[in-house]
Amino acid sequence: MARSVRLSAQALALAVVVGLLALLVWRVVHDDNKGVSQALDAGQHPTAPAFDLKRLDGRGSIDLASLRGKKPLVLDFWASWCVPCIHESKRLEAALQQYGNRIAFIGVDTKDYSADARHWQREHGITYPSVHDGNGKVLAKWGGLPIPRIFFVARSGKVVGELVVEEDLPRYLRQIAAS
Amino acid sequence: MNRLAAVLVAALLAVPAAQASEQHPTQAELEGEVMCPVCGTTLDQSSSPAAQQIKRVIAKGIASGQTKSQIEDRLVAEYGDAILAAPPRHGFGLLAWWLPIAGIVVAAVVVGAGAWRWSRAREPAPRSVQLDPALERRLDDELRRFEG
Repeated sequence: MARSVRLSAQALALAVVVGLLALLVWRVVHDDNKGVSQALDAGQHPTAPAFDLKRLDGRGSIDLASLRGKKPLVLDFWASWCVPCIHESKRLEAALQQYGNRIAFIGVDTKDYSADARHWQREHGITYPSVHDGNGKVLAKWGGLPIPRIFFVARSGKVVGELVVEEDLPRYLRQIAAS
Repeated sequence: MNRLAAVLVAALLAVPAAQASEQHPTQAELEGEVMCPVCGTTLDQSSSPAAQQIKRVIAKGIASGQTKSQIEDRLVAEYGDAILAAPPRHGFGLLAWWLPIAGIVVAAVVVGAGAWRWSRAREPAPRSVQLDPALERRLDDELRRFEG
């Protein structure tokens, strides 16, 4: 009797250890730190990860997958607490005047309080639509913090590049407008 | 008995305190229970712009007379469950609440069972040794001589 109890306890302990190891392996294999930005750094051009998020202005939602094949797009990850985001979003707003009929500009307000975000848009005169990614899950798929992060997606849905230096903006805009 | 009374009194005192905290939360209390979404710490340990933003939201909520649950629900609606330092009390988050309790119960059962088995397995106390009558007489004689 005592022997069977001891064997059962040992089997249970072994099962717990194996379970914890399996959990560790699963977590490492499914590490979501491999975002679009990291893929671009590695020379790849992944398909833009889909999202379907509510618009900040309350006019429904934007489903990224529904835009595939229709228009190239610029994706701007920003937040109202992010000081450098002001400069980049204003540059995109200026580019919107030139490319607005050929390229879709979409903002992704991330890890932000939506009322502050709406105020920020009005204050800085940003008119392209933004969606709210409050928990930052979409941002994580694209590479995570820091922001701003600006991506250029061709009409096919492939991510062409990410803005790193100032000159990237006109170069990538021309490239995706021709896609 | 005295200990039981002390525990009961402490429990009775804790209930109104929890109700007061729910109805009239303080800024410091909530800053210790809400996470900064970009730093991985609670708000009270961060001065980042994102943390400052949420601190302002909490201050506005308190000033407008919102309860603790209302403020927390608003933050969860904006930032998701991960904005609260404590895991949610539903779904997978329940595991974090019940696993430690289950662990304590299992440990208590194992220790109790071990103690029970150990106490049953102990050898009975040896009986008093019966001396040979001749040897006992001799021992008495020796003791008398030693004392005399």
